[in-house]
Amino acid sequence: MAPWLKSRWVTVPLAIALTVLAWNAYVAINAGGKVEGRVVDAAGRPVANASVILLERHFVMHNERQRTRTDGSGYFQFTGNDNHSLQLEAEAAGLGRSERRAVRLWFRAQNVSLTEPLQFSAQLP
Amino acid sequence: MPRRRTFLRHANLIGICAVMLLPFYWVLKTAVTNENIYAYPPRLLPEAPHLFNFVDVWYFIPFPRYLLNSFIVSALVVAGNIAFNAMAGYALTKNFPAKRAFLLLFFSCMLIPFQATIIPAYLITSQLGLLNSYLGLAFPLLSTIVCIFVFKAAFEAVPQSLIDAARIDGLTEWHIILRVLLPLSKAALATNVVLAFIWSWNAFLWPLIITREPTMQTLPLGLARFLSYLEDTTGALYAFAVMVLAPSIFVFLMAQREFIRGLTSGATKG
Repeated sequence: MAPWLKSRWVTVPLAIALTVLAWNAYVAINAGGKVEGRVVDAAGRPVANASVILLERHFVMHNERQRTRTDGSGYFQFTGNDNHSLQLEAEAAGLGRSERRAVRLWFRAQNVSLTEPLQFSAQLP
Repeated sequence: MPRRRTFLRHANLIGICAVMLLPFYWVLKTAVTNENIYAYPPRLLPEAPHLFNFVDVWYFIPFPRYLLNSFIVSALVVAGNIAFNAMAGYALTKNFPAKRAFLLLFFSCMLIPFQATIIPAYLITSQLGLLNSYLGLAFPLLSTIVCIFVFKAAFEAVPQSLIDAARIDGLTEWHIILRVLLPLSKAALATNVVLAFIWSWNAFLWPLIITREPTMQTLPLGLARFLSYLEDTTGALYAFAVMVLAPSIFVFLMAQREFIRGLTSGATKG
């Protein structure tokens, strides 16, 4: 191997370039803009037909961007998200509103699946 | 006894280092939390650290654009400094009429602050049609007197016999600089790279004056813009400061050995 290839002026920038390249490849693969999760009541039962609101951050404000409804198993999905700092909130007749959940992403449009469901403080009848 | 003295000396040095690094640590700690720097009592360790402030900085303003602009301008400045300073430094090792007057002129020019010459610099840049351009941004820093003297000191340390031998072998003055003096002056080269990079990277006033479009702004201007957008987001603000600082610290760490050697050589030979 040529001695200049072992120089730190070559190896360190090369390592940085490779890391950036790998990160960009990862971003390209995972930037689908999909946000999904579940909505449950206080007892942990899925809430069907609840309205879920996606809010996105603009500097110091969060503005509503999309709305969707949960299916029979309490599952919801948003597509086309292009922000990196979100909030999610659910509302349903008779249950009121869930807590507003902040969702921070590592890059814009990152596909994300909520590990903890959005939960209402009230129970379904 | 000498061992105890060494231990004490090292303990002192570590203590001084810790005091000097504390502000940097505080900036880093604030960047990875959302703590207010005025919070009382202050916490030494970060609570629930995260890196999302860096993500906010990347997306809230055109950070990649500012980063690219800063890199282009700094690369131009570093290239200009190496080329022009090496030539000027070599010229100053020669004997020519009024050399002392030239040296005196250089030294006295070092006393004039940049703010005092900013209007003529602006007019010259404008006459050359370089306003709002990368070359215009790099223009006043393309050659710096301190770095000329660093090269002069390094070139004077090269034995004259070596230069004479190169000349006998048929090398031109340009080739002597390029093939003999520069390879033997790596410390001076590293000093030039580090100083030129840091000065250009941190420049605020000049880019503020000559840029017309936000797309031509550099990172320090971006920091000012970011401050005006997010007045109360301490964590993101400090994350921005870390992201602005990181490349210059990186360049310094890469070249620190040669940089320190270059500066001390300049100090003893100049």
